Amino acid sequence: MQFYADSLSLPPGTFVILRDLIHERTGLFYEDSKRDILANKLSPRVIERGFDSFLDYYYLLKYDDTAANEWNEVMDALSVPETFFWREIDAVHALVNLLVPQWQATYGHTPLRIWSAACATGEEPLTIALALEEAGWFERLPIELYASDASPAAIAVARRGLYRKRSFRTLPHTLQAKYFTETAAGWQVAPELHARVHWATANITVPAGIATLATAPIIFCRNVFLYFSPQAIQRTVHLFGERMAAPGYLFIGVAESLLRHTNMFELRELGGAFVYVKR
Amino acid sequence: MTDKPTQQAIGIFTTDTQLIVHTWDSWLAQATGIPAELIQLQPLALIVPDLEARGLLRRFQQVLDDGVVVVLASALHHYLLPCPPQTPSRHFEMMQQHVTIAPLRDHEQIVGTLVTIEDITARREREYDLADALASPDEYTRLRAAQTLADKAEAPAQMLIETLGDSSWRVRQVAASGLAQRADSQMIGQLASALRSDHRNPSVLNSALQALAFSKEDSSGPLIGLLHSADADLRGYVVLALGEHNSPQVRQALSQALADPDMNVRYHAIEALGKVQAIEAVDKLIRIAESDDFFLAFPALDALAKIGDPHVAARIVPLLGNQLLALPAADALGQLGDLEVVAPLATLLNMPAPPTITIVQALAAIYDRYEVWYGEGALIIERLQQMLTAAGVHNLINALTTTQAEQLPLLAQVLGWLEGPAIERELTRLLAQPAVRAEIVDALVKQGTPVIELLIEQLDAEDQETRLAAMIALGRIGTPRAVPALISLLSAEAQLASVAASALAKIGDRRAFEPLLGLLGQPSASVRQAAIGALNSLGHPDLAARAGALLQADDPYVRESAVKIVGYFGYPAFVPAMLERCSDPDQRVRSAAIEHLPFFEHPGVIQALSDGLQDRIPAVRIASARAFGYIDDPQALHHLIRALEDQDAWVRYNAVRSIGRKDAIEALDALLLLAQTDVAQQVRIIAVEVLGRIAGASALPLMSTLATSDDLALARAAISALGTINHPDAQALLLKHLDTSDPARRVAVIAALGTYHSVEALLSLKQFASMEADSPLAQAAVAALARVPTSESINILVELISQPARREAIIATLAHLGAEQIDLIGRGLEHRQVEVRRAIVEVLERMKHYRASEYIGAALGDPEPTVRLAAAVALGRLGSQAANRLLEALAQSDPDAAIRQAARTALQR
Repeated sequence: MQFYADSLSLPPGTFVILRDLIHERTGLFYEDSKRDILANKLSPRVIERGFDSFLDYYYLLKYDDTAANEWNEVMDALSVPETFFWREIDAVHALVNLLVPQWQATYGHTPLRIWSAACATGEEPLTIALALEEAGWFERLPIELYASDASPAAIAVARRGLYRKRSFRTLPHTLQAKYFTETAAGWQVAPELHARVHWATANITVPAGIATLATAPIIFCRNVFLYFSPQAIQRTVHLFGERMAAPGYLFIGVAESLLRHTNMFELRELGGAFVYVKR
Repeated sequence: MTDKPTQQAIGIFTTDTQLIVHTWDSWLAQATGIPAELIQLQPLALIVPDLEARGLLRRFQQVLDDGVVVVLASALHHYLLPCPPQTPSRHFEMMQQHVTIAPLRDHEQIVGTLVTIEDITARREREYDLADALASPDEYTRLRAAQTLADKAEAPAQMLIETLGDSSWRVRQVAASGLAQRADSQMIGQLASALRSDHRNPSVLNSALQALAFSKEDSSGPLIGLLHSADADLRGYVVLALGEHNSPQVRQALSQALADPDMNVRYHAIEALGKVQAIEAVDKLIRIAESDDFFLAFPALDALAKIGDPHVAARIVPLLGNQLLALPAADALGQLGDLEVVAPLATLLNMPAPPTITIVQALAAIYDRYEVWYGEGALIIERLQQMLTAAGVHNLINALTTTQAEQLPLLAQVLGWLEGPAIERELTRLLAQPAVRAEIVDALVKQGTPVIELLIEQLDAEDQETRLAAMIALGRIGTPRAVPALISLLSAEAQLASVAASALAKIGDRRAFEPLLGLLGQPSASVRQAAIGALNSLGHPDLAARAGALLQADDPYVRESAVKIVGYFGYPAFVPAMLERCSDPDQRVRSAAIEHLPFFEHPGVIQALSDGLQDRIPAVRIASARAFGYIDDPQALHHLIRALEDQDAWVRYNAVRSIGRKDAIEALDALLLLAQTDVAQQVRIIAVEVLGRIAGASALPLMSTLATSDDLALARAAISALGTINHPDAQALLLKHLDTSDPARRVAVIAALGTYHSVEALLSLKQFASMEADSPLAQAAVAALARVPTSESINILVELISQPARREAIIATLAHLGAEQIDLIGRGLEHRQVEVRRAIVEVLERMKHYRASEYIGAALGDPEPTVRLAAAVALGRLGSQAANRLLEALAQSDPDAAIRQAARTALQR
């Protein structure tokens, strides 16, 4: 189903080379049946750059000196902003109730770093911050909470901390009332909670961009592998595994699995949530 | 550094039919010590006195009489020409020779023999060493020896066969795979013999069957012999292995195996018959399906579906009433049924708790066939609508909640064929399901007016994708009722506004005129473009005046949009204003104005474009370079060649593209330079593409070099250019590049070879087309063969039809070749293989052309009943008066009662 102008078509041959280039750079993989979806997402960029064909746009991304900036736009166009607070909360409970106490018991006051690796517009790291705050952990332990996404636009939204109704579909009302203030433009997150998170733009498939972030002993990388090819999943998980200390804890989405992709991690159940633990 | 030439190890001589030697090459002179002048015009027996005694004379005679190629296996004959080894040998006194005797032809007549002698003494020496290694107690030594044997095509098969009984499974695996790669008839006999004597040894059994099943040579004869074994297990294994082959003998043997006393053998025979698409077994298989033996009825129905004989559909229909067989029966009907089975399928759907999804799949498959082949899918819909009751509709709607996501699109498709408030409500609700959204939009568009209000409601849906889909559907329905709601969405965020504008364009309601004009100053380029497109298609009488006035607007976005509208229509009155906008302070406006100037006839156009090429902003220079591509004036080329030196890569890129549009040979040198040296790869690529069209042979060396570039896109462009250049030397280069180890490049080479029709090119394409059907190389080769069809390329495609895995793809390819190829395709009806002739009938049917029908009529005289049946069914579906006359004659005169009946049935439709 084509949303964009009839005159701007994405022929099969161009789709394949463009799809493969995007896969190589971002890990995102578009099956042949998703050609229209890719075209719909990228056609505004093609038009904005003044091109009349996707092939020229492909050349821009592949060869042009200014491609780095355009790749940020691509990430914005391809990002999946569908997320909400308190999503798949069992994993967060496992973090707050089991992993953080365990860290404190083992390492005392050594700072604990947590990384939300594909945070989209920020609902996940703010959920983590909120749960840690509710449990009083920020008072008892130095916790560094990092959040990143490959889409600069998504991170810009996260930095604003202003959310619409759809983001609150599962967050208990009491918590919403406690940590968010309603404004004309939406719900603004409490500045103290927002300040707990360090925001960054980073592509999880690019080693240089995540070299430091991936040393965190706890990584949340949920609902992003759904859009990756098996090769890209393997590559990314390997990047994490190489840098995380053992035992490192990797949370992925409930609809995702790494069992066929890596033997660097072992699947364990932790307080009702599943987590991959670095061997 | 240059490689030393390898020492030649092959000699060639020729004889006449009396075996008098005529030519004798220098290698033979050196190897035998007999100079050419001594042996020429002398009988071969002079130097091979025991020619007859060793049975070799008989082999020569075979070549001369039958025109076959004979190979003298070195393990058996050792040599033809007695001469010492070229280097001292530990094992042999005579040079060991691999001898190939081929007929020497003058046109069609055999005038002698052509004999090649290969010195394989060194190889045989190595084999002796390998035999020692294979007897080693060390597994690793044996494994390495087996791998070496398997990798060497010339190594004797017997050594590998003996290795099948090795105690190590690794060694066995290597041996089996090696044997499969290069099985010849002699080796197959040896394998079969090993099976007979040693099949209780599971190592030998599995490895030998594996080797036989996947061998390239026909291994069916020896395997069929094994069906007489008293051992049911062996017979079962053999039947499975036979399923990997396809010949009349195999099909007959498998058919007979249906009477095997052992149930498992019969089961495997049914599966194998389906696999080889044994049309001869259809009657037996349907009888099994009709029997009460459910264990065998399931695979029988599956086999019938695979065989694909449509005339059996009528006998499968009653099985829909059998609770246990309804599901496989519906599945089979989906694959081979036609319009006639829609009613029984609908009847089953009307029953309580039917296999809804299977029926839906069957209906969708039949619809697709009718739509794709004949453009008559509507007949299937019409029949379903006639037959489906409220209960059937209810069953379909109920299935929405239980169906898995991947099957939802088919269910949505079938629901879309039906009407009524419940259907409309459900379809609209499904708009929120991403997996079926495209199908649902199609279905809702088909519904039309009744769903308009439901769709308008969806414009307020929470999910943006649903709103977009609803807009698209409303636009395609073209309803003015949606105009106010769509207009209100023009002020929404960019994507919604763009799609709303496009929908309004399709509806064409002039109420949208003013709101669309209001979008011309939107910051989003997509929204502005959608608004411009919509305004251009509305055809509002005020558009020219309003757009003309907006050329002077304060907002540069508005001026840019106005320029695009005025430029699109080419309103002559606005030429001065457009020229003025070429100097607009805003670069976007300048670019747009320049790009649209070619659509105006005015003496100032060239100067404005020339000025544009000097603009300090690259985007404006790019616009000029593009625009010059549409200007016929000779000055345009001069400016474009100058633009090839622009410092901005995209200016150069667009200048090359414009030059390409003119096929301007004057730019040859500049383009060659760019293709070699430009710092921007996209410029090199476009230059290569253009050179491919205009340069001819002068660009060949460069293209050949670039074809090996590390940059795949550049290499592909160069390879494609070698195809476009269409020169014998380019073809030779392409054949050379076929050796590349990179599959992507090889696909490109194959595609490029489609331009050429030499024997070498066709042989290469044939070789690749014969690979695994799902291989990209095979698909590229089939497409290349069809690209410029010739009698030879069509013959190759016709030959390939006999392979079941590629039957459908080749049929589709041939059917699309066009009416001018009908005669060449029709010649396939004389093919020796029945399956090929049946497939050609199908091709001709899909072509839907009166001359194709004439060929189908001719197929009614085919000696093979199943070909006549296919022709009768095809003519029945085509349904012309001429076809009916042929069918009437057939119904009276065909010697086969089943075909007379089929003809009568076809006439009744």
